[in-house]
Amino acid sequence: MRVSLSAAAALLSLLQSTAATARSALVATTAVTLALPAQPALPNPHALPPSTHATLSTLYTTYSAPLSAANTFVFRNVTPGSYLADVHCATHAFAPLRVDVVASAAPDKLGLLSVQAWETFRGNDWDNKGEEAKEMALPGAGGPGSPTVAALPVRCLAPKQYFMERSSFSIMGILKNPMILLAMVSMGIFFVMPKMVENMDPEMRAEFEEQQKNNPMASLMGGGGQQAANPLGNFDMASFLAGAPSKKDEGSSAAAASDAGGNGGGRRKR
Amino acid sequence: MHLSLPALSVLLALPAAVRAVFQDEVGHIDYHYELLGVPQRETTFFHRPRQQDKASLLYTLSDLGVLGAVNPSTSSVVWRQLLQGNITNNVGYLRAGEDATWVASAMGSSTQAWDAPTGRNLWSLDFNGRAKDLEIMELTESDHKDVLVLYEEEGATVARRIHGTQGSVVWEFRAINDDIPLQVSTNVEKVFVISLHGSLLSYSLKVTVLDTLTGKRLDEINIGTKGEVQKAEDVMFVGANSAAPIVAWTDNALTKLKVNVLGNKNKQEFPLVADTRSIEIHAPHQIQSQPHFLVQSRTKTANKAEVFHVGLKSNVVTKAYDFPLLDGESAFSTSTTGSNVYFTRVTPDEVIIASSLSHGILGRWPLHGNDARAGALHGVSEVIKKSEDNYAVRSAIVTDTDDWVMVRNGEVAWTRPEGLSGAVAATWAEIPESEGLAKTLEAEAHSNPLEAYIHRVKRHVDDLQHLPAWLESVPGRLLSSIMGSEGSAKGSATLTRDSFGLNKLVVLVTKRGKMYGLDAGDHGRIVWSKSASETPSSQPWDIKSIHADDVKGFITVRGADGEFIIVKSDTGKTVETMGPGLWPPVQSVAVVDSEAGPWLLPIGIDGKIGELPLAHAPKQTVVVRAGNELKGITFQPQGEQAVEVPAWVFSPSGKQKIVHIATRSAHDPIASVGRVLGDRSVLYKYLNPNTLVVAAIDEGSSTMTLYLLDSVSGEVLTSSSHQGVDPNKQVSCAISENWFACSFFGQYAVRDSETQSVKGYQLLITDLYESEFSNDRGSLGDAIGEDAKFSPLDPIDRPTGPVIPSAVSKTFMLSGPITSLAVTQTRQGITSRQLLAFASGSHSITGIPRMVIDPRRVVGRDPTPVELEEGLSKYTPLIELDPRFMITHERDVIGVKEIITAPANLESTSLVFAYGLDVFGTQVTPSMPFDILGKGFNKVTLIGTVLALTAGVMALGPMVRKKMINMRWYSS
Repeated sequence: MRVSLSAAAALLSLLQSTAATARSALVATTAVTLALPAQPALPNPHALPPSTHATLSTLYTTYSAPLSAANTFVFRNVTPGSYLADVHCATHAFAPLRVDVVASAAPDKLGLLSVQAWETFRGNDWDNKGEEAKEMALPGAGGPGSPTVAALPVRCLAPKQYFMERSSFSIMGILKNPMILLAMVSMGIFFVMPKMVENMDPEMRAEFEEQQKNNPMASLMGGGGQQAANPLGNFDMASFLAGAPSKKDEGSSAAAASDAGGNGGGRRKR
Repeated sequence: MHLSLPALSVLLALPAAVRAVFQDEVGHIDYHYELLGVPQRETTFFHRPRQQDKASLLYTLSDLGVLGAVNPSTSSVVWRQLLQGNITNNVGYLRAGEDATWVASAMGSSTQAWDAPTGRNLWSLDFNGRAKDLEIMELTESDHKDVLVLYEEEGATVARRIHGTQGSVVWEFRAINDDIPLQVSTNVEKVFVISLHGSLLSYSLKVTVLDTLTGKRLDEINIGTKGEVQKAEDVMFVGANSAAPIVAWTDNALTKLKVNVLGNKNKQEFPLVADTRSIEIHAPHQIQSQPHFLVQSRTKTANKAEVFHVGLKSNVVTKAYDFPLLDGESAFSTSTTGSNVYFTRVTPDEVIIASSLSHGILGRWPLHGNDARAGALHGVSEVIKKSEDNYAVRSAIVTDTDDWVMVRNGEVAWTRPEGLSGAVAATWAEIPESEGLAKTLEAEAHSNPLEAYIHRVKRHVDDLQHLPAWLESVPGRLLSSIMGSEGSAKGSATLTRDSFGLNKLVVLVTKRGKMYGLDAGDHGRIVWSKSASETPSSQPWDIKSIHADDVKGFITVRGADGEFIIVKSDTGKTVETMGPGLWPPVQSVAVVDSEAGPWLLPIGIDGKIGELPLAHAPKQTVVVRAGNELKGITFQPQGEQAVEVPAWVFSPSGKQKIVHIATRSAHDPIASVGRVLGDRSVLYKYLNPNTLVVAAIDEGSSTMTLYLLDSVSGEVLTSSSHQGVDPNKQVSCAISENWFACSFFGQYAVRDSETQSVKGYQLLITDLYESEFSNDRGSLGDAIGEDAKFSPLDPIDRPTGPVIPSAVSKTFMLSGPITSLAVTQTRQGITSRQLLAFASGSHSITGIPRMVIDPRRVVGRDPTPVELEEGLSKYTPLIELDPRFMITHERDVIGVKEIITAPANLESTSLVFAYGLDVFGTQVTPSMPFDILGKGFNKVTLIGTVLALTAGVMALGPMVRKKMINMRWYSS
C-alpha cells in the first residue's frame, strides 16, 4: 500500500512528549489523507459545515485537520503509530477508522512509511478490525492536470438529529385513536339505526325487531327499538319468587304480536 | 466477531429517557453569543469572496486566534475557524489578495489558506519555527497569486514563497544568523525581507532583497538607526503591497518620524506633533493603488493625521496634507477602489472621508447612536462611490469597550460584543431584592410580635393601592399567557427576581480586564459592563477567584497579584478596589467560616497563609496546594493571633504530577441517603461532604491514579490506577453527591484478557456506598451503634479500622473527547443529575444522563426483573455522544473553558452557563419539566376542549331529555 510519501526526515513535532523523544530524533513522517466521498447517507459532501474536522489520536499524540474544499482532511508529518481517526461534524455522524502508519519492511523501501486503515468499533478490542478502507484516488488540489492523491474514504453513518418532536395537537390524531373510533361507531348505531328501522318496510321491520329481541346483544346495542333497554325492567320479582314461569317471553311475544298487527307508523303520529 | 455494529450501538446507547431539546425551545430557553474575539488592526479587512459578486464579507483574525468571516449587513458569522484548536495569545497574520477567492493565514507554526466564501481549508503547511509575517504576491508569472511567509527559527530567518492554490513551496530563502525577522514585503519586481540586525538596544534595519522567481538574494541594505530601534515593536510599519513599500520608525522621544522607501538607502525625517504618545501608519495593501500613506499621531487627549505621497520614480516621500488635530480618539482606515485611495476618519462625533490626493472632504456624516461614541481604537472601512460627488461608507470599528461596531453612513448598524470572549472567570449571582422590602422585613423580625403584626397589617393595607393596577393587568396577562407570549412580554430593562428563580445574574470577567453582568433570565442580555480601565487588571488578567455574596449583592474578584475589586452585582458599580502589587500575590482564595462570619481567605504562593487575627481564624480545615502537594491546614490560637498548623500533607506517589482536582460545589443537596434497590432494600450512599478528587499522572509510564481524599483527615478513601492514560490530552473530573467522574484518553490492554486492548476517549465513573451490601451501613453503622459519634479524624486510631467506602466503578468509551466536566444542580437534589461536559470535537455541550453512566449497570447479561425495577440496564462499553444529549443542539460553541450550573426555584430545572471563547447559557431539566407546564402544554387546546365539551353537553342535553320523555310515554 503506497501513499504519497513525504519521507523527508523532520524534527519531532512539539506535540510529542518526553517519552517519544527516547526514540531517534529523526523520524520519518508521511501524509495521511482522509476523504468524504458522496455516499447514500451523505449525497452532497460539499454542503458540510466548515467546522467539520478530523483528528488522528493515539497515546501522546493528536493531529487535527480541517475539512478542505475537496472534502478531504490532510494530516502532514504523521509519525509511525496506530491511530484512531475520527471525523467531527455538526450535521453527520461518521464511522471511526483505525489508521496504521508503519515503516515498510522491504529493504529497498527502508524508511518509507505505508498507511493502512480499517473501520474500528468503539468499545471493542483494538485489534477487532472491520472492513479495510481501500484507498481511493482523488483529483489533486491544483485543479485538473495535477497528480492524483490517494485518500482513505470515511463512511458516513447517518445525519444527526438534534431535536425531539413535540407531540402536537391535531384533530386527526384524536380521530385515529381506537377508543374514539369505537365510540363513534356506537354513536352511529345509536343515532342512525332507529332512522333506518323507521324507513324499513313494515314486514322487514317486524322481522328485524323480532331478531333483535332474541339477540342477547340487543340490550347492549342500546335497545335498537322503542322497548325499555333494561332487561331488569321486565323482571317480575313476585312471580319469580312464586316459581311461576317467566312472563318475559310471553310479554315480548305479545308485544311483537301487537307490533305486527298494529300500525307502528300510526303510533308515532299519535 | 463484531459484538456490535456501530450503527446498532448508536441505538443501543439510547435509553428511553433522553431529554433532548425541542425545536421550539431554541432561542427561548437558551442563548449563545457566537464570538470571534477582538479583531486586530492588521488582520481585519473587507474582502469580496466571489469575483462576480459585489457583496463583500468582513474578515478578521482576532486576538484569540479565531479566523472568521462576518456578514457586514447582518453581523452574523458566516464561518469561523479556531486556528490552533484552542485559545492562544499568538500573533496571527491574515491577508487576502485582490479578487482572490481565498484568504491566507499564518499563526504559530502553520500557514493555511481558506476558501473565502465557505471557510473550507484549501491547504495547510506546518514548518519549524514561528510565523512572523505573511504577504500576498499579487502579480506572479502565472495566473494565480502566491503567498510569502516569513518564519523565525532558532538562529535562522526563513522566507518562503508558497503556491497560492496548491500550497506547495515554490522557493525557500534561509539566512543563518541571529537577526530578528520583522516582515516580508514585495513590490512588483522584488521581495524584501526586513529584519533587525545587531545586538539588543542598538539594532540596525537590514533589508534583504530577493528575486521573486528564485528567491535568491540580490542585495542587502543596512539602514542605520543610531540606536533608535531597540526592539521589534519600535519599527512602526513596513509597507505592504503598494508599488513603493516603506519602512518607518521614530526616534525614542517620538518627535520625528523616519521613513525609508524599501530598496534604497535614503531615509527621510518628518516632525511629529508635540507630546505624541503613539503613532499608527495606514497604507493601502493593493498593488495598483497609489503609493500614499497616512500617519496618525495620538497625544494624550487628541489626535491628528498627516498624509504622505511617495514619488514612484524618485522614491521621495512628500507630505500632502493634514487632518486637523481633534480631541478624543478617532480611528482612521484606508479603502481603495481601483487606484483611488480613501481615508476614513471616525471621530466621536462624525465620520469623514477624504481622498488621498487632496484634503477636500468627500463625505461627512454626523455619528448617531451612543454605542460608537466610546473611543474608537481602530477600524476598517469600505467606501463606495455612488456618483461623481456622492459617496457611501461603512466602517467596522473596534472601540475601547472591546465592542465591534458597524457604522454605516454615520448610523450604527450593529454592535458585536466581542469583549465577552476570552472569559476567564464567571459566577452566578442572585438579583438583589429591593432594599426597602428587605429592610422592612428585617425590622419586623426584630420588633415584638404585636408591633410586628400591626406593622404588617398596615403594610398590607398600604399595598392595596396597587390592587386596581394589578386587576387592570389581569386580562392582559391572562391573554398573553393563553397565547403563549409570556417570554416576549417581559422586555422591560429592570432586573426582578421571578417566582421560578430563572432570572439570575451571571458576572463574567475576561482576560482583557473587562467585567460584564448578564441577565440569564433575559437571553443573556448584557446588563452592565466595565471596561478594563475601571478594573485593577493586568494584561492578561489572571483571575484567581470570583465570589458572589448574595446577601449583600456584591461580587468580589481577586487577581494573582493581590489586586481585587468588589462590585455590585446588579449595576456593576465599584464598591472597593485595590491595585495590583499592594497586597501579596495570591494563589487561590477560599471562603471560610470564622468567628467574625464567613470571609474570603486569600492563600499565598505555595499555600502560605500566615498568621490571622483570632476572630478571623477559619473553623474548617483549609486545603491548599503547594507545588505538587496538597496540604490540610488548621488554625490554632496563639495569643491574639491564630497560626497555621499543618494537619496533613498529601503527595502523590512516585513521579506523579497532579493534573486535576475536583471539589464539590457549595450547593450539593442530597435528597435521599440511600438508593432503593429493586427488592426494596436500601444501599446507603457514602455521603461525605469533605471529599475531593485528585487526578495525578506519571508521565513516564503514563499511569493515572485517581485519589478520593478526605479533606479533614487527608486520608485516601479510595484510589484507582489506570494505565495508558495520555498526559498530553486533557483530564477532567467532577464530583457530586456520592459519585465522581473522570474523562481521559486511554490506550491499554484490558485486564481480564491480555490480548485485547482498547484505545479512545473514556469516562470513568465511581459510585461510593457505605457498604457493598444493602441494608448495611458498614463500619459507620457500628460507629453509630457504639457511641453515636463519628469523626473523620478518628478512624486511624480505631481498632475497627477507617470508614472506607465501597466503590463501584465502570469505564465507558466515548465517541469523542469531553472536557470541563460539571454536574447539574437543582434546589433540593431530588431531580436526577446530568453530567455536563464540553465535547470539544463536535463543538457542543453534552448532558449525559446519570442513568446512562450508572456504574451499577450489569455486565455480560441482561438485567433481572429486580434490577430492571431499579432502573439498571445492560452495560455497553460505548457511550455515543448522541446529538440528542447535546444541550447546545445545532449551535456551534467553541473554546468552552468552564461550565457553571445553578439551581432555579423550580426543582426540575438547573441553569447552565458556559464561558471561554463563546458564551452559552440554557436551562436543563434532567428529569423532564415535571413541575412546570412547558410549551407542549397547549392552553388554547385545553380551553377549546372545555368549550367543545360544554357545547356538546348543551346540545345533547335537550335531545336526551326529549328521548327519555318519549321513552316513558311510548313504552307504557
